[in-house]
Amino acid sequence: MNDDIDFYTIDSHKNWDEGAEIQRLLTQCDLDMEEGIHVFVVGRQGHRLVACAGLDGNIVKCVATVPDLRGESLALKLMSEVSHLALEQGHLHLFLFTHPKNVSFFGGCGFYELAEVPGYVSLMENTPIGIKSYSEQLHKLAQPGRKIGCIVMNANPFTFGHQYLVQLAAAQCDWLHVFAVREDVSMFSYRDRFALVQAGVAGIPRLTLHHGSEYMVSRATFPNYFFKEKGIVGECCSAIDLILFRKYIAPALGITHRFVGTEPFCTTTRKYNDDMKHWLQTADSESAPISVVEVPRAVSSNIAISASEVRRLLHSGDMAKMPSLVPRETLKFLSGNHYAT
Amino acid sequence: MKLRRSMLFLPGANAAMLSTAFVFKPDSIMFDLEDAVSLREKDAARLLVFHALQNPVYRDIETVVRINPLNTPFGLADLEAVVRAGVDIVRLPKTDSAADVHQLEAEVERIERACGRALGSTKLMAAIESASGVVNALSIATSSKRMIGIALAGFDYVMDMQTERGDGTELFYARCAVLHAARVAGIDAFDVVYSDVNDEEGFLKEVELIKKLGFNGKSLINPRQIELLHNAYAPTEEDVDYARRVVAAAEKAERDGLGVIALNGKMIDAPIVNHAKRVLQKAQASGVRK
Amino acid sequence: MKIIKEALAGTLESSDLLVKVMPLPEDRVEVVIQSEVMHQFGEQIRQVVSQTLQQLGLVSGQVVIEDKGALDCAIRARVQAAILRGGSIQELDWSKLS
Repeated sequence: MNDDIDFYTIDSHKNWDEGAEIQRLLTQCDLDMEEGIHVFVVGRQGHRLVACAGLDGNIVKCVATVPDLRGESLALKLMSEVSHLALEQGHLHLFLFTHPKNVSFFGGCGFYELAEVPGYVSLMENTPIGIKSYSEQLHKLAQPGRKIGCIVMNANPFTFGHQYLVQLAAAQCDWLHVFAVREDVSMFSYRDRFALVQAGVAGIPRLTLHHGSEYMVSRATFPNYFFKEKGIVGECCSAIDLILFRKYIAPALGITHRFVGTEPFCTTTRKYNDDMKHWLQTADSESAPISVVEVPRAVSSNIAISASEVRRLLHSGDMAKMPSLVPRETLKFLSGNHYAT
Repeated sequence: MKLRRSMLFLPGANAAMLSTAFVFKPDSIMFDLEDAVSLREKDAARLLVFHALQNPVYRDIETVVRINPLNTPFGLADLEAVVRAGVDIVRLPKTDSAADVHQLEAEVERIERACGRALGSTKLMAAIESASGVVNALSIATSSKRMIGIALAGFDYVMDMQTERGDGTELFYARCAVLHAARVAGIDAFDVVYSDVNDEEGFLKEVELIKKLGFNGKSLINPRQIELLHNAYAPTEEDVDYARRVVAAAEKAERDGLGVIALNGKMIDAPIVNHAKRVLQKAQASGVRK
Repeated sequence: MKIIKEALAGTLESSDLLVKVMPLPEDRVEVVIQSEVMHQFGEQIRQVVSQTLQQLGLVSGQVVIEDKGALDCAIRARVQAAILRGGSIQELDWSKLS
């Protein structure tokens, strides 16, 4: 049929001939091309490009339809195709950042709002039971107590600095929940990082170590932590991640305090700590505030111990200081692998 | 005598269309599992059509399903599903020879036995889509008792002929061959889809042509074409008046026990009576020509 | 019969539904239905889904449905398609699906 719209996919790395057309459509819809998209679903009516949507792993970006074909059907077809394409790529569970004014539109496409920075950005997911299920699972691991602490760490790799923070926090709380950031985009793989954290906190009482999730410092909730994201989304990244924490994760476990180490080297992490104080403690919210406890870094030879410092030394092949920076298991790991030059 | 002027094509993967198309009143509805369905959706479309066929809303409309060719991974599964679901007619695409029909017929019979469906109740329609098919039209048309019609399919045929769809010249021989084969076999002949749904004038011109040639009907891809087609096929007032008189004369002759029918002093034989009955049938179905 | 991998069938278009299935570690079936017409037809949708899953003999898996006003025949077809795509059965027994 002439009016029929054909949908197909374009791998942006392999064949970007249609890239200019897609860019024009995005511009027509007041959107910028976002980074990280490796595949697009496009819809064509005859020769005309009328719809597009990009996928960056499990995150949907750059959704656009031509203004003269607005009305439900085209967008619904497009988002259906996105779901199928994403599954072919191995993702059933999808996330989406959008302006709050588009939330009801995507709501009609099977997306549900997770968190919103009013007037700026909303994060949505494509299932009604994503965060709910996750919170329910977490809740089963809740422990009694009045002061329940939490640490979220990338631990890239696990250092004495991390260990010091964990020991201090555990001592101050009735129970401490430690989360390892799950994304596998750091120098060390999640599997290795988690194993080192596990070894490093073994023996500390009243502590639960949790695997990280998509809902906490992930590429979906906090892309800027890993990559530089442009625009509004980049600015509001940490906000969304922290709102999720305060709204769902903390209540599930009864968390009252969040512990972080002061950050001497990494600007992103330092900004994150500042944002943390705002969104968890002071910002208006229906959820109870969480106290943020900033703990001065453990030092060795007057230098604050941090994972970035460890990585820097590793790169330069300088292993001499390592035993004073990292626990035994981490040292064994660093020395025993091809990481050590 | 089943009227088959209009056969509306529905893409088998489209749930909305399958749920709502019964409101249109074509003579037959064809659920397509073949070219209108992407590879990814073949399994899902088969299930949609399986259930649609059993929906009471389609009970009173003749149903056709275009299955995938039997030499694809999909064809046999399509057949299992739709025969069991009670489809009236199975349309075999790309029929090149009588052997294709025999192969299909054997499978249909096997499934009818396996599921307890009355043997022979599943009818067949062959789609001619290639030069071979056209050349073998007669043997295809006469290859099975289940065959109720043969259809010319334009798109693949013109590609096989190394030409393109145009003003109809490219279909000239094929149309005639298919028609003759159908008439010799005593079955229906169906013409190609007219794909430009916005060109009403072009559509009507084509309908006039195929009606003159003698086609029983045409495949349609848009519900809007149904009424246009039915009206073009509708007899005029004069046609209807004359047909009434012919039928009345035939009935009178039978009552009087006469072997010969006469009207206005002329002898009327069986083909004329049958034609008159068809005229009245069309008039009853959609009135006289507007 | 269990769901052994993530799968998807259907669309978000009007009169259709999107069905997603996921494996569960335990032997239980969880069904979540969202519909624009939840008030009027929620119960009926649930019944049709439930009956369809029972007919297929599903004992383990999560089924999440986004309904856009689909009729019963479409619901059955999409649920069956998703289960077939994600489940541990290779072929359908057509006599058990009506």
